[in-house]
Amino acid sequence: MQVNMDSATVMERNERAVSLPRRSPVRAFEESKAFPAALLTPILLFFVLLNVIPTMWLIGFSFYRYNLQSPDVPRPACVGGPCPILFALPTPIQVSLTQNLQIIIPAALPVDNYVKIYNDSDIWGAASRTFTFVAVGVTIQVILGVLLGFLFWGSAKMPGRRLALTLLFTPMVVTPVASALFWRLIYEPTFGVLNFLITSFGGQKIDFLTSNQWAFPAVLFVDIWMWTPFMILMTLAALASVPKAELEAAEVDRMSWYKRLWYVILPHGKFILMLGILLRTIDAFKTTDLVFLMTNGGPGNITDLIGLRLYRFAFASLNIGFSSALAVVLLIIAIAFTSIYLWVLNARRTSEA
Amino acid sequence: MRSQTQTRIYYAILWLIAILFFLPIFWIILAAFKTDADILAVPPKLIFTPTLEQINQTLFGRGEGISNTIPYLVNSLILSIGSVTLAIIVSFLAAYAFSRYKPKATNFLMFLMLSTRMVPASATIVSIFQMYNAFDIGLRGIGLVGPQDTFFRGFPGMLFLYTMFSIPFSLWILKGFIDGVSQRYDETAFVNGASRFHVLFRVVLPQVRPGLIAAFIFNLIFVWNEFLFNFILGTTKSNTQMIPYALAVGLVDAGGNINWGYIASLSMLYVLLPMIMIFFFQKYLLVGMTFGTVRGEV
Repeated sequence: MQVNMDSATVMERNERAVSLPRRSPVRAFEESKAFPAALLTPILLFFVLLNVIPTMWLIGFSFYRYNLQSPDVPRPACVGGPCPILFALPTPIQVSLTQNLQIIIPAALPVDNYVKIYNDSDIWGAASRTFTFVAVGVTIQVILGVLLGFLFWGSAKMPGRRLALTLLFTPMVVTPVASALFWRLIYEPTFGVLNFLITSFGGQKIDFLTSNQWAFPAVLFVDIWMWTPFMILMTLAALASVPKAELEAAEVDRMSWYKRLWYVILPHGKFILMLGILLRTIDAFKTTDLVFLMTNGGPGNITDLIGLRLYRFAFASLNIGFSSALAVVLLIIAIAFTSIYLWVLNARRTSEA
Repeated sequence: MRSQTQTRIYYAILWLIAILFFLPIFWIILAAFKTDADILAVPPKLIFTPTLEQINQTLFGRGEGISNTIPYLVNSLILSIGSVTLAIIVSFLAAYAFSRYKPKATNFLMFLMLSTRMVPASATIVSIFQMYNAFDIGLRGIGLVGPQDTFFRGFPGMLFLYTMFSIPFSLWILKGFIDGVSQRYDETAFVNGASRFHVLFRVVLPQVRPGLIAAFIFNLIFVWNEFLFNFILGTTKSNTQMIPYALAVGLVDAGGNINWGYIASLSMLYVLLPMIMIFFFQKYLLVGMTFGTVRGEV
């Protein structure tokens, strides 16, 4: 009897151990389709609140003549216009929004702002300067970075390597605000150290950041200083991705250095290098803080890059409609860059697989 | 084989290059220990009596106009650590879901997430600024916040913004690492009666620790260095202004002169954290600087 009781409890316990978790609501939830959805909910909330909705606003604004500086134009409420998010809001908020922000007078044509961008010589000027900035800057960074990267290739046993690499890589993790400001100190015409060096070698003092001739190269130089270490890093990574065995085989075969480069290193290393170049291109295209604090686009508009131009349209001229349209254009460019980046990334995966 | 002398020269050259890149920062660190007169001296002084006066004044106030910067440092720390922690929790859950359940939109969403980080900050800020202001007006309209208070233009809004700023990178890096954890671990755990939560936090989480560290360190550096959002959206009232803001605003003093001592000492203090980070976490530098898309050690 006693024995039977015991075995019954044991069986019961076993049964419980197996079946209870399955019955518990937490388990049921974990196995339901709602579970992955629940895991994704927080990120989607953030994404919708801070990316989807602002982008909809941006696109909406870009079709309106909306300028915070001209408050006396009549402002009908945002009804029937392309600012869809307002429809989603509860009525009291909508009313208070339209009363307080007094949104928005539609542009004559839905594409009015885009036509203006197309005809705006300032924007084309800034775009071409940005192109020069990116093309020249990234080219120099890549060449210097690859050369120095190759130089650092054999540094594995260097004494104090960690410290040396920290010093080398610090420029790219310093906030651009700080580097912009302390380079101003270095470039400073009266007591800056650079001008001291120039004059002590018998040259003429140069007021780098206010001279038409020197301002752009001076800003570009700081960008090169900041980001060449990044290309060194990417080159080292690219070289590390070349299998040791193939390098040794090339050594045994006494291949010439350019053959080694072409047939052994490049096929493996090219993807990481390309990713590095692309990331640099995207980042250089985004440059705003640096020019904002070094020259604020000056002298004239010689260092006025597209990011800074947009910032000025939005927050100095307060021309929200127009700057939204420009922001949409930049958004599309950024998405295009991202697709190229991912395309290279996938090409790398398939070539490795 | 190279001779020992050749190796020594080679290492010396490498050190020289590293020092050359560091020289401008070294110059600013020197300036942080100079008096105002020494900073403005012609010719520039390499040898001088070091003083802590600049740092002292920068930290604890220097009268006219510029108050002490300790609140800014505290804001920087709270905002960056808070938002990055939040971002990593959110991204870890999502990365697990993307990696294991592979919902249909995975690739598209990952692409969108990455592209948000590729947009110039000034393009994003235009609409965020409008939206935050409008939302706050709306919240006041329905009485959820007081008539003078802010929610989105205050601390929560800034925290959310930096969380979103850190999410794409954390998501990419963590998905990469979770993809690298074999599903067999999950299955073994399930067979042994483990729950999903157990798998998530006790099986997968410990194995992706390098990813978590890299995401944490580099997002911290990125938020720590962020300027434009902070400059536009940060307010004194809500304690959301960070050091780059203080640097940009404190550039010119009340008399219209540039405050080089302030810039030098504050830059010096500010650069310390990223430098220490990349010294101790150097092996994560590559994965960190490529948004988690390239893994490996340098």
